[in-house]
Amino acid sequence: MSLQFLDKGSRWLRLLEDGLLCLLLTAIIIIACSQIILRTTMGTGFLWSEPLIRQLVLWVGMMGAVVATREGKHIAIDIASYLAPNKVQTWLELVINLCSILVTGALTAAAIIFTSSEMTYGGTSLLMPAWIWSLIFPLGFALITLHFTGDLLKIIAGLARGGK
Amino acid sequence: MVLFKFIPILLAVIGCPLFIVIAAIALISFYGAGIDISVVIIEMSRLADTPLLLALPLFIFAGSILSESNTPQRLLNLSRLLLGWMPGGLAMVALLICAIFTAFTGASGVTIFAMGGLLMPAMLKDNYSEKFSLGLITSSGSIGLLFPPSLPLILFGVIAETRIDQLFLAGLIPGLLMLTIISIYCMKKSPPKENKPIDKSEIIKGLREAAWELPLPFLVLGGIYGGFFVVGEAAAVTVLYALIVEVVIYKDISWQRLPGLMVHSMMLFGGILIILGASMASTNFLVDMEIPTRIFEFIHQYVNNKYTFLLLLNVFLLIIGSMLDIFSALVLVVPLIVPIAKSYDINLIHLGIIFLTNLQIGYCTPPVGLNLFLASYRFEQPIIKLYRATLPFLGLLLLTLALITYCPQLSLWLVQK
Repeated sequence: MSLQFLDKGSRWLRLLEDGLLCLLLTAIIIIACSQIILRTTMGTGFLWSEPLIRQLVLWVGMMGAVVATREGKHIAIDIASYLAPNKVQTWLELVINLCSILVTGALTAAAIIFTSSEMTYGGTSLLMPAWIWSLIFPLGFALITLHFTGDLLKIIAGLARGGK
Repeated sequence: MVLFKFIPILLAVIGCPLFIVIAAIALISFYGAGIDISVVIIEMSRLADTPLLLALPLFIFAGSILSESNTPQRLLNLSRLLLGWMPGGLAMVALLICAIFTAFTGASGVTIFAMGGLLMPAMLKDNYSEKFSLGLITSSGSIGLLFPPSLPLILFGVIAETRIDQLFLAGLIPGLLMLTIISIYCMKKSPPKENKPIDKSEIIKGLREAAWELPLPFLVLGGIYGGFFVVGEAAAVTVLYALIVEVVIYKDISWQRLPGLMVHSMMLFGGILIILGASMASTNFLVDMEIPTRIFEFIHQYVNNKYTFLLLLNVFLLIIGSMLDIFSALVLVVPLIVPIAKSYDINLIHLGIIFLTNLQIGYCTPPVGLNLFLASYRFEQPIIKLYRATLPFLGLLLLTLALITYCPQLSLWLVQK
C-alpha cells in the first residue's frame, strides 16, 4: 500500500519536473526570439528580457540537474563501472549514494541559509523580491537530495532481497 | 582535515558524480576555514551574471533536434555525391560529417553513436579496411570541436571571460589544418576504386533534399560576424530555425516528441551547469588561497621559457583529457591555468584553442579516452583493437597539436585581421 503511494508520488513528481523544464525552455526560446524580432523590426526591445533570461537559464539548468539525478545521468568518471564486478558495484553505489545525500543535504541547508538572508537583506529584482529568484537553489537541491535518497532506498531494498 | 580532502578524490575514482566531489571539496574548504557554507550558494548564484550561458542550453537543444532528425542521413547522401568520386572520398565525407556534427552537438559521444552506425557499414562496403574505418570513426568522434558553434569553445569563453566570437574565428584555421592533414592520410590509405561517372541529376536531387539544412551554418556565422546578433541570440535563432525545418517542413520530428527532446537536452545542460556552479565555489577558494600564484612560482623555478611551459601544459592536458569528459575538464582546469598562462604572456584566445585541441585528442588517448570506450561499445570490438586502430590518427593529431601550440599565428591571424 505504502509502496503504491510512493510510486504514484514519484510519477507525479516526474510529470511536474519534466513539465517545468519544458515550460522554462519554451519561455527562454520565445523571449530570446521575440527580442531579436522586436529589435530588427522596430529598433526597440524590453530592458527586462536579458536579466529575466539569465534567471530562467539558471532555473532550467538546476531543474535539468534534478532530472539528471533522477535518471542517474550525472557526469562521472566511470572507469570503476567497467572494471568492478557486479557485486562490488552495488556496494560502491551504496557508498556513492550515501555521500551524495550528505553533500546535497549540506547544499540544501546552505541554500536555505542563503535564501533566508536574501529575504531579510535582498532588494527587488525583476519586479519581485530577489529571494523568489533564489528559491531555485533550496528547491533544486532538496529535490536532488530526494532523488538520491530514493535511489539509496532502492539499493538497500535490492541488497535485502539478495541477502535472503 | 587533510584526510577529509582525500575522501572526495577517492569518491571521484569510484564513480561518484563529479559535482558532488567538487561541491564536497568546496564545503569542506569553506567550513574548515571557518566561513559560512552559504558562501557556496552565493558563488553559484553568480552564474546568473554570466550572459553567455544562454548559448549553451539553446545550442544543446538545437543539436539534439538535428541529431534526432534525418539530417545526418541527408548530409551523408549529399556529401557522398559531392566527394565520393575522389580517392579517399568516403573517408573524407566521414571526417567532414563528424566535424559538422560534433560542432553542433559537442563531443558527447553523439557523433560516434549516431554517425558510426551510418558510416561504418558504408566504409566497409567501399573496401576500406576494418582497422582503418574503426580508427577514423573513433578519432573523428571529437573532431570539429574547434568549429563554431562548438559548445566546449563557448564554455571556455564563459569561464576564461574571453570573447566567444573571437574564439570561433580562432578555431577555423587550426580546425581546417587538422582536417586537411587527416584527409591526406585518408587519400593515401584509400582502396583502389573503379571510376564511376558523376551523375549530375543525383547531385541536384541531393542538394534539393538538404536545401533547408545547408543554410544553417551560414545563418549562425553570418549572423554573428555580420553583427546582426550576439552568440546567445544566434543560438536562439538556430533553435527556431531547426524547429521550423525539422518539425514543420521535413516533419522528421513530431510535435509529441518535442517535450521528450527538451527534457533530455536540458538534462545534459543541467549536468554541465551544476558542475560549473560547484566549481565556481571551489576554484574561488583556491584562487583566494593564491594556489595558482603558488603553482606559477613553483613552475617558474624550473621553467622560465613560455614554450617549455606550453609543452608541459600539453602533456598535462592530454592526461586530463583522457580521464575527464571535456566539460568537467574545462570547468576544473581553466580557472587555475588562466592566471598562470597570463604570467607566461600567452594569449588567452590561443590558450583556448590549445586547450580544446588537447582535450579533443585526449578523447582517443589510451588507456581511458572516452571515444575508445564508446566505439568499443558501439561496434562491439575489444578495446585493445581500438587502441591499435586509432594509433596512426593519434600520431597525426599530435602533429597538428604541435603546430597549433607553437605557431600562435594559426589561431590568431584571423582574430587580429
